[in-house]
Amino acid sequence: MKRTLVVLTIGAALTGAAFAHHGWGSYDAAKPVTVTGPILAAKYENPHATINVKGSDKEWTVTLAPTFRMTNRGATADIIAVGKTVVAFGYPSTVEKDEMRAERITIDGKTYEMR
Amino acid sequence: MTDAAPAIFVALEASAWGNTIRQSTWLYMAANVGHILSLVVFASGIAVIDLRMAGMLAATAPGQILKVFRRVVGIGFLGLLVTGSILFTAEASHVITNPMFQFKLALIALGLLNITWFEFFTAPKVRDYPPLKALPPEAKTAGIVSLAIWFVVAAVGRSIAYF
Repeated sequence: MKRTLVVLTIGAALTGAAFAHHGWGSYDAAKPVTVTGPILAAKYENPHATINVKGSDKEWTVTLAPTFRMTNRGATADIIAVGKTVVAFGYPSTVEKDEMRAERITIDGKTYEMR
Repeated sequence: MTDAAPAIFVALEASAWGNTIRQSTWLYMAANVGHILSLVVFASGIAVIDLRMAGMLAATAPGQILKVFRRVVGIGFLGLLVTGSILFTAEASHVITNPMFQFKLALIALGLLNITWFEFFTAPKVRDYPPLKALPPEAKTAGIVSLAIWFVVAAVGRSIAYF
């Protein structure tokens, strides 16, 4: 009886729900991209900071790192600011359109590791 | 923010409290660390009770084990609830639609149901058993089922970030 219940619960939970995009698994490490351009929007937030960057081809949403780590590494909110030019090296998402996860970013000649 | 989620979770995420958590330097991280610490406390209490019910540590008095470690489980669960709701609030609309989180909630419900059943029907029976007296099969079942459920809850919880 209890086993049937467990199986039913697993089945019910796995059906029909949408997949989110966290972790490194849903980024294509075989196709690294470098996006260079001005920061159009910045969210210095948990669990990961994100910026929107106007690249040469399109506008990218660039997922960065946890803010605690970024602050520790000097990439504070006033560094990751709207209007600054950023070079973001990372991997495109295999799930979300126009989203990438940055391995490292360079702002004002300084490089910050995100991983 | 995703509008695919029920409005209440969208509102929770968008609330001032949600904003505070996301903007915080240490609160989110502290909740993350605290969630793991609470899990360690919770799981240690669960493990002792469940293993005793399953037949191990037979030389101990079941009543005393229950009395002491029930408290450990309670403290751990409270910590999990508080830290978990902080982590949840920050991304409520995303997390609630995450299949692993839904699976985790269902398993927690099942685990709590098992505990409730055990506390109402099994614990009163075995509470006064002396050490070394064999426990009834229902106690063994409750212990093993409980261990299995909470192990999977922990695994599924960590998996939320990958789905």
